[in-house]
Amino acid sequence: MQKRVVEAYIGEYASGKSENAVNRALELAREGEKVVLADLDLVEPFYTLRPIKKLLEEKNIEVIAWETQQVMGLGEAGSVLKPEMRWVLKKEGNIILDIGYGVEGAKVLNLLEGFQDNPHLKIYVVVNIARPATATVRDIVDYVQKLGNVDGLINNTHVGDDTDVKTIQEGARVVTAAAKELNLPVIHTTAEKRLQGELGVSDICGNPVRYIDRYMPQTFW
Amino acid sequence: MTKPIEGEKKVFMTGNEVVAWAALAAGAEIMYGYPITPQNEIMHYWTRMAPKYGRKFLQTEDEISAGFTCTGGVLAGKRAFTATAGPGNTLMQEPMSMAEMMRIPTVLIVCQRGGPSTATVIYSQQETTMTCYGGNGEGFRIVYSTATHQELFDYTIKAFNTAWKYRFPTFVLGDGYQSKMRESLSIYDPEARNIEMVRAEPYVVKGGVPGENRDPAHLRNTYNMEEELYEVIMDHAREYEKIAPEIIEYEEYECDDADVLLVAHGVVSRAAKGAVKELRQDGKKVGHFKPVTLRPFPEKELLERAKAAKQVIVIESAYGQLDKLVKSHLYGCSTPIAQYFRPGEGITIEEVVQETKKYL
Repeated sequence: MQKRVVEAYIGEYASGKSENAVNRALELAREGEKVVLADLDLVEPFYTLRPIKKLLEEKNIEVIAWETQQVMGLGEAGSVLKPEMRWVLKKEGNIILDIGYGVEGAKVLNLLEGFQDNPHLKIYVVVNIARPATATVRDIVDYVQKLGNVDGLINNTHVGDDTDVKTIQEGARVVTAAAKELNLPVIHTTAEKRLQGELGVSDICGNPVRYIDRYMPQTFW
Repeated sequence: MTKPIEGEKKVFMTGNEVVAWAALAAGAEIMYGYPITPQNEIMHYWTRMAPKYGRKFLQTEDEISAGFTCTGGVLAGKRAFTATAGPGNTLMQEPMSMAEMMRIPTVLIVCQRGGPSTATVIYSQQETTMTCYGGNGEGFRIVYSTATHQELFDYTIKAFNTAWKYRFPTFVLGDGYQSKMRESLSIYDPEARNIEMVRAEPYVVKGGVPGENRDPAHLRNTYNMEEELYEVIMDHAREYEKIAPEIIEYEEYECDDADVLLVAHGVVSRAAKGAVKELRQDGKKVGHFKPVTLRPFPEKELLERAKAAKQVIVIESAYGQLDKLVKSHLYGCSTPIAQYFRPGEGITIEEVVQETKKYL
């Protein structure tokens, strides 16, 4: 049996946490693994997993997320932690956590039962250097240091539909340099499948490339 | 101190961050603000970046105060701005009316959300009338309505210059969708594009001797006599009308031979443009007119296009706020005007195509 996967995706606002989390969950589900995907964004009512909950469930993922009609005052009052979310780390099988934005968002992990002593849990920071707040090695290092314990960085550099390989490679260089300074591994570079031919199996720094489909543009509201 | 943006670069951002970066790039010195969704990240990003670039921020107790402190900052000679949404915009109408009366170049970014009152925090175009004409006054203000993140960046920078050049309060009218949406754009240092920022200068505590080497800084918004008020308002009106042609901006898409003219502003114009693109592929003579400035309104330009068309359709995420503007500026034009109103709801290309087909 493959090692159990328990991963939390954290990072700067709009860095691509959900997209990476969703794709990771789908990858595991495709391999026939049991997967729980939890939406732990308590702040942002936009670009959450709610609108694609059904779609993901059809693909054999157990999704723990609110449905829009179940909550009141989204975005205005914040949303509350679903009881199932608090206990999500006690679930069996693989667990993927999509964490709300930024340093404050990452603190939601403290609310999860068993967070401190889960031996499998890996926390990955998703970084897009086309986001000006995390554009340079210095910015990334400063930012990641504010996030508490993390286990690795993911280079998710892109500019939406305008992304080319050059953009991704530049991201790979900067994120890899930041990871070195932080003494952390780069888990992988993320890229859209359309770039697979040009980019290949690893980026310019030798990090593996994980190819994804974009689901999040469907989840705007 | 390092510049927030060197030269030009391609980035991927949410609209709220775009505004914060544009204000930094424009050399805004201070933001006054009070939190409200969907505006919050303008404040979040401004407060994150401000210390790094020597800028300031004041969080006030409410939006009335944010608006008034913003006018105060401007009076002190600071390139200042504020941002709000929905009921916050309602509260800011009082200070913005004062800015209108006293010709104070405040800059206010509006992230429209659904109303009336608190309603929903997401999106609408229901603050169009209020942003153009809110407060007790005549609407002597400049309102830029943006549709893309690039426009949001460009017009936020421009708003500071327009405000300080013409000394009327200036608004950038966005909405919750633009606030939260993510897309790529080029951000730049205005200097890299030869955009010169109009210098901010104090209204109060000026140097020199009033009456000798400068005019007195006589700041009032209170008048005892009707005649006095009349004179001031008429001065403002004449000045506003004189500068309007320099300020007016609009965009036309496939309007030259258009039988059906789609009029939409802000984010909805993206759907209108998309619909025109699609319908043109089927050989339909459809065009799109987008007023960028809602105040002053591109009246002459729209009138010309409307007269040449057989049908005008006004499309908006409100119940007739743009429609009212359009009709008042198309007075005397006999082309029929139809409406597609979705108050508080987003409008898609498919919907616009379907609606337009009814008139083809």
